[in-house]
Amino acid sequence: MMLKIKEIYFRHKERKEDVLKGISFDAQGGHITTILGPNGSGKTTLFKCIAGLWHYYKGEVLFEGKAIDKLSFRKRARIFSVVPQEHEPPFPYSVFDVVLMGRASYVGLFSTPSKRDYEIVEEAINTVGIENLKEKPYTKISGGERQLTLIARALAQNAPVMLLDEPTSHLDFRNQINVLKKIKEIAKNKKLVVLMTLHDPNLAGLFSDKVVVVNSGTKVAEGTPNEIITESLIKRVYDIEVRKSIINGHSIICPVI
Amino acid sequence: MINKKFYKHQLITKLSILFLPIVVSWIALFLGAYGVTPVMVIKILLNETLHLFEMGDIPEKAIVIDIRLPRVILAGFVGAALSCAGVTLQGIFRNPLVDPFILGISAGAAFGCAITIGFLSFLPIQIMAFVFAILSVMIAYGVARTQGEVSRLPLILSGVIVSAFFTAMVSIVKFLVDPHKLQSIVYWLMGSFSLADWKAVRVATVGFLAGVIPIFLMRWRLNVMSMGEDEAKALGVNIKRERLLFIGFSTLAVAVATSLCGIIGWVGLMVPHLVRMLTGPDHKTLVPLSISAGAAFMIAADTVSRTLTSFDIPVGIITALTGAPFFIYLMKRGGKEAWGR
Repeated sequence: MMLKIKEIYFRHKERKEDVLKGISFDAQGGHITTILGPNGSGKTTLFKCIAGLWHYYKGEVLFEGKAIDKLSFRKRARIFSVVPQEHEPPFPYSVFDVVLMGRASYVGLFSTPSKRDYEIVEEAINTVGIENLKEKPYTKISGGERQLTLIARALAQNAPVMLLDEPTSHLDFRNQINVLKKIKEIAKNKKLVVLMTLHDPNLAGLFSDKVVVVNSGTKVAEGTPNEIITESLIKRVYDIEVRKSIINGHSIICPVI
Repeated sequence: MINKKFYKHQLITKLSILFLPIVVSWIALFLGAYGVTPVMVIKILLNETLHLFEMGDIPEKAIVIDIRLPRVILAGFVGAALSCAGVTLQGIFRNPLVDPFILGISAGAAFGCAITIGFLSFLPIQIMAFVFAILSVMIAYGVARTQGEVSRLPLILSGVIVSAFFTAMVSIVKFLVDPHKLQSIVYWLMGSFSLADWKAVRVATVGFLAGVIPIFLMRWRLNVMSMGEDEAKALGVNIKRERLLFIGFSTLAVAVATSLCGIIGWVGLMVPHLVRMLTGPDHKTLVPLSISAGAAFMIAADTVSRTLTSFDIPVGIITALTGAPFFIYLMKRGGKEAWGR
């Protein structure tokens, strides 16, 4: 399975300068591909373009060789599941109800979820391991638990591609690691194409099979984290002096202070 | 164990709300200026529907069947429509503080009705009511919408503005219209079921079938839509089209209700909240329970309005007297959250 991003150009309405200047890369099934970049680098824009929320004016997103930008929302949701950043819904839905929303693209306009939909939701909840939260109000659980709920919802979508927008941005250290471990496990077991954005180079290095580094709207580097997250790249992209070393077989960067 | 008990408790609550309109209707039928015993009401109803036994032409029969029953049914349909529209608007606008009255839909519909009564009496009253109702909600929504999101306070403010505008337009119509027609506009505007008859019930039934039933069928999607525009899109919902459908159906329901009994506020705000507090926010159950609770509430309010004193108090007064304090309670309880995004 393969997701191909080809020469994406994006600019905001009534603006002259491009925010994305022809970015291309691809992402494999069973692998985690991470878009890494500092704030304002264009990684969130790129994410929204791939997720179909914003429209790029040039370029293509291909899944299994087929262009997906002309698909209806319903068809697109069966290929892409999206895990948004943590947020607060206006009503205190139970965790189960939130996961059930993942079935929206399979439920007809004038009907309600079927027994099969409920089974799939139970399965997704078990896969993520949040059975104990099922009946709890989504508004009353922790940030990490919410992220896991949204991942279960994405799983319930039964889509081959999972997109995650900064899945760790609102989490504490323990939850960052737990959530990313869970994502990695799911990507391997379900052979999903997992594409996420991160701003922390070390987290990207620890959990990704492939890193795409983005800065000022262009791709700066692409490859396995060990190869491309180097002292000179970090200096170039983040303007910070770092030293790289190997711990437990992972390359870690540490700022010079 | 606790879970099982909780579910049983929930089920009982839900069933009680569902059957509440029947009980309230029965009470409403025997209360009133002319005393009819509770048992007599049941006898008369059974006789009318099943023709089990001969009763003769007793006055109680005329009072229950020709006067009280259409009024109760009309109040039920109107309460159901307003409450259903309220829960729908709260869901699609992600705003627990809106209802058809606050968003100016009722005022828009009232203006449509007033110009029909005043100047376009050849048209069915519901057409212009619907046109101006949909216009007012579109304006309120358009004004409040910035960068794809509608935040809570601006939406309420723009609803107040639209409401004020159309209320002023109604006043202009009242000023220009001929005095005979003025009387009927003024009487109808106060919000009352005192003119209820079987013809009004037939119109209300059509409105209910056309506006409320589609919303009932689509109700689960309100869960998804209340998560916000981007999320609903990513989950596979064609948000623009579905939002338009929901606005269209709920506005239709409100326009028909307003054309029959004038402006009755607060029901659409209050009832969904009470139901949400009792049985949870899932629209799959919230919508049908709000429909039946709205019907029960309106029948009860109307019964109070006609039995409290020797003459009919407009029912809009009763709903406002309960609704306004309830709104304040919600605001205070929600605190900052209620006003924020």
